[in-house]
Amino acid sequence: MAPGEANSGNGGQILKPFTFNEIVLRNRLTALVVDGDNFCRLLEQGILQAYGLETQSVDNGDAAVELIASGAKFDLILIDMLLPILDGLEATRRIRAMGVRCKMLGVTAFSGERERQAFLAAGVDVFVEKPLGPEILIPILRELDEQYPSI
Amino acid sequence: MEVGQMQRRLVDYTKTLFMEGFLDAQFLQLQQLQDENNPDFVVEVVSLFFDDSEKLLNNLSMALDQPNVDFKKVDAHVHQLKGSSSSIGAQRVKNACIAFRNFCEEQNIDATLRCLQQVKHEYYLVKNKLETLLRLEQQIVAAGGSIPMIDMGF
Repeated sequence: MAPGEANSGNGGQILKPFTFNEIVLRNRLTALVVDGDNFCRLLEQGILQAYGLETQSVDNGDAAVELIASGAKFDLILIDMLLPILDGLEATRRIRAMGVRCKMLGVTAFSGERERQAFLAAGVDVFVEKPLGPEILIPILRELDEQYPSI
Repeated sequence: MEVGQMQRRLVDYTKTLFMEGFLDAQFLQLQQLQDENNPDFVVEVVSLFFDDSEKLLNNLSMALDQPNVDFKKVDAHVHQLKGSSSSIGAQRVKNACIAFRNFCEEQNIDATLRCLQQVKHEYYLVKNKLETLLRLEQQIVAAGGSIPMIDMGF
């Protein structure tokens, strides 16, 4: 077994725990979390805040569209597929239709290929099956951070 | 009991929970979100998970208790529970939800009732374990110690 690996009771591997120091962002990135589930919404916000992002959240697709339409700008949007009032697919389509080009992650408990294709077609850049882990988030945050010119 | 002993007991207990599949790596990520700026993060997030889940389990019981079961509604609740349990790292609850959703698709009332019992069982097991884990952590902090980072090289 390689160092840093272990076997868990489920036969899978446990990864070496990362720390939030693994990435230090130079810029204060902003993110919007759209999730109808209280727990998931607060958790995703907490995770992004721990990385140093400034976050807002809404609990339905309609509020997300309205927030963007009102002019709010974000570097990153995390959006769930199943949302009250207006679902994630339609909300994503409408946000993209407004000309918004920021990074959008579809973060959902769905795991099927059909759902993945649908969410990507609606306009998310990455389809993420919950939970959102550092292996996906860190490269994206690095990429977003580097988009800003160094002074 | 002195702090070093308490810390070792916590580490052993946590490792057992991983070995037995109750928690997965996602839970580690959560623990690492806790720091001096956010000292109660894990307790808050775990409490929220409990509230959320118990509401969902109630909704599920009600939905399955109807004369004409709306399986779409049942599936939506299970889907949500799958999302939140995977987000906190409650692996066995998540797996029970995955099985549950398969039976929802088949619209099999007996099987889904059994699945509900299974999910409830797994939920109450992990709830109990998380409460114990948090109590161990609180004891360490109260005694002036720090919560050890779990080394997964075992």
